[in-house]
Amino acid sequence: MMKRKNLTGKKAITVLLSTAILATLLSGCGKEEAAASVVVDEAATEEVVTDETVATEEVTEAVSEAAESTGPYYDSGSDVESIVIDAAEKGKVGNWGLGNEYEVQALLSKYGQDTAYLSQAFDMDGFDDDSISLASAMTYNELGLIKNDYEGGYGYADTVSFIDMNEEGVAMLEDNLFCNAAFAEENPNTVKAFIYASMKGWEYACANPEEAAEIVYKYGSSVSAQHQAYMAGEVKKLVETDTKGVAVSEYGKMDEEAMQQTLDLAKTYIKLDDSAAADKLASLTLDEIRSTSYWEEAMASEGELGAPEKAEVSIQLKWLPQAQFMGYYVALDKGYYDEVGLKVNIVSGGGDIGETTAVYSGQVDFGVTWVSNLIAANAGGMDLLEIAQVYQRSGLVLVYKLNQ
Amino acid sequence: MGKKNPYRKERILSILYPAGFALVLLISWQTQILHKILGTDTFTLPLPIRILTIMMDNSSDILTDVAATLIVALTGLLLGSVLGYLLAVLATALPRWGMGGLNMASAFSAVPIIAIAPIMTNLTKDVSDDPNIRSMVAKILVVMLTCTVSMSTNAYRGFIELKPFSKDLMKSYAAGSWTIFEKLRIPNCMPYIFTALKVSVPASIISALVSEYFAEYIIGVGRQIRENIVLAQYATAWAYIITACLMGIVMYGCLMLAETIMLKGRRT
Repeated sequence: MMKRKNLTGKKAITVLLSTAILATLLSGCGKEEAAASVVVDEAATEEVVTDETVATEEVTEAVSEAAESTGPYYDSGSDVESIVIDAAEKGKVGNWGLGNEYEVQALLSKYGQDTAYLSQAFDMDGFDDDSISLASAMTYNELGLIKNDYEGGYGYADTVSFIDMNEEGVAMLEDNLFCNAAFAEENPNTVKAFIYASMKGWEYACANPEEAAEIVYKYGSSVSAQHQAYMAGEVKKLVETDTKGVAVSEYGKMDEEAMQQTLDLAKTYIKLDDSAAADKLASLTLDEIRSTSYWEEAMASEGELGAPEKAEVSIQLKWLPQAQFMGYYVALDKGYYDEVGLKVNIVSGGGDIGETTAVYSGQVDFGVTWVSNLIAANAGGMDLLEIAQVYQRSGLVLVYKLNQ
Repeated sequence: MGKKNPYRKERILSILYPAGFALVLLISWQTQILHKILGTDTFTLPLPIRILTIMMDNSSDILTDVAATLIVALTGLLLGSVLGYLLAVLATALPRWGMGGLNMASAFSAVPIIAIAPIMTNLTKDVSDDPNIRSMVAKILVVMLTCTVSMSTNAYRGFIELKPFSKDLMKSYAAGSWTIFEKLRIPNCMPYIFTALKVSVPASIISALVSEYFAEYIIGVGRQIRENIVLAQYATAWAYIITACLMGIVMYGCLMLAETIMLKGRRT
């Protein structure tokens, strides 16, 4: 009898132990993920003195290697089709996945290739060590790290080139501004005031990208000051140019054609196992994911919008604090939110629990996400509403090394 | 007969109680009473019927992912356990080094899987040109590391913690070290192996799921959980979470069955 009791005790302990391990793991995942990306994105701040030397060594090695061999990479001037087909056939096209992959899949399909891709880490080591020959990069972030030789950079300079999603006609719109549809309905003045002040922030940031980068750096940067400045310059281009390369002067405007293209591509490439969600995705219209009225009224208002229904609001960013979100930091720093009677708290992102969930569950009032992520979330059962489209063109490129 | 009955009754009850609790939980979940208690909605915690529908609709895809995860978990479990057992044998043969060495090894178990997984992915890049294979190797290595430690420490205890005087008795029969090892230590170690497996079987599933997050090749139940949560597809994510739970439960059940068969006659 004693022995049996003992065994049950042991069993209970084992079960408890495994539950504890599972719980620790589950709670750890998000954090670790965030931490890992910090390290990666950051490969720069204080502790990186040693990392930096290592990185530069690697870069020089890789560059000299690239210089010696003439054949393994792509010749400058080769057409996009041949590069895409070659990389796809070798199975060396990389993307981060997790909802960032649709433009890459659209490009692969465009050239008749299978839509499979390699899972790319949040650093560019896979590109550096040639396990990925056509790697995803954002113009304002990873592309800068690949080209530049400042802290955390790989220093490839002009030995790399890239394929632009906008030029290939597979661009999907990225960073927007959204909230719950119900929230917008109940707090129209708050929403309009928030749009007005935020867009004022974006306007100032784009007019003064260097100052904007310094402001972002002040509010807790995940990357070095130089990379922040580079990022501000590149983000400005995305905010002020549309998918066709035409200048845009109205900040936050929702371009019908680009929005529709985003929705169409999303319907083709977002694959949902849940048949209810898949059906909803197939029938989704632009009116179910965005409303232009708040932005139009806000921009026509000259800032006189009436008392906000909710004065203390928060916004969840899609990623860590960086110039990607400079408009909001500038609006906060310059007091634009105060001017319209709002007290704003900026919450940085980076974990696995996305900004769509944070807004949906009411933890925050506003969020910044990619339009495709909002589409997937609404198909899954959320009722989110895009209220402004900050980025007017896709910032995603596929970068490749050039034969020297 | 009279003696057997109360035991059997107890046994039936010990299954009925938790099963009844599970049934109550399931009913309150489906009828949304659970949602009221937890203050959540059917989006975050989808209804069981919907989760089940998704599992049925995608059964072939899910099975592919289950197979991928199970191959990693079982191979890693096997390799890790064998390695752990050999380490324990080595530690027993070299008693001076044994304890300290195993203490060092158990320090390894404190390294979180999420830290090892990306490292393994980087270390195995040259293993194969096929990303599926090199990712599988990386994942198996992670599982192996997790399973080695529990087996080596437990098996070592099995070799060392002999019944009082049994070793002296063997020596009085003029048994050599090898005979003591073969006739005394190895049989004595059996229950300890199962103790180790009770830790490492669930751990192997967990490490397989987590290491999939960081693998280059996109496949597996764990990866699907992550993809769907990030895309806010909670019902689908739950379908894969339930799948993961089932995998764990089935493997644990197999282990218990194996233990009952293997250790039969030891229990009194």
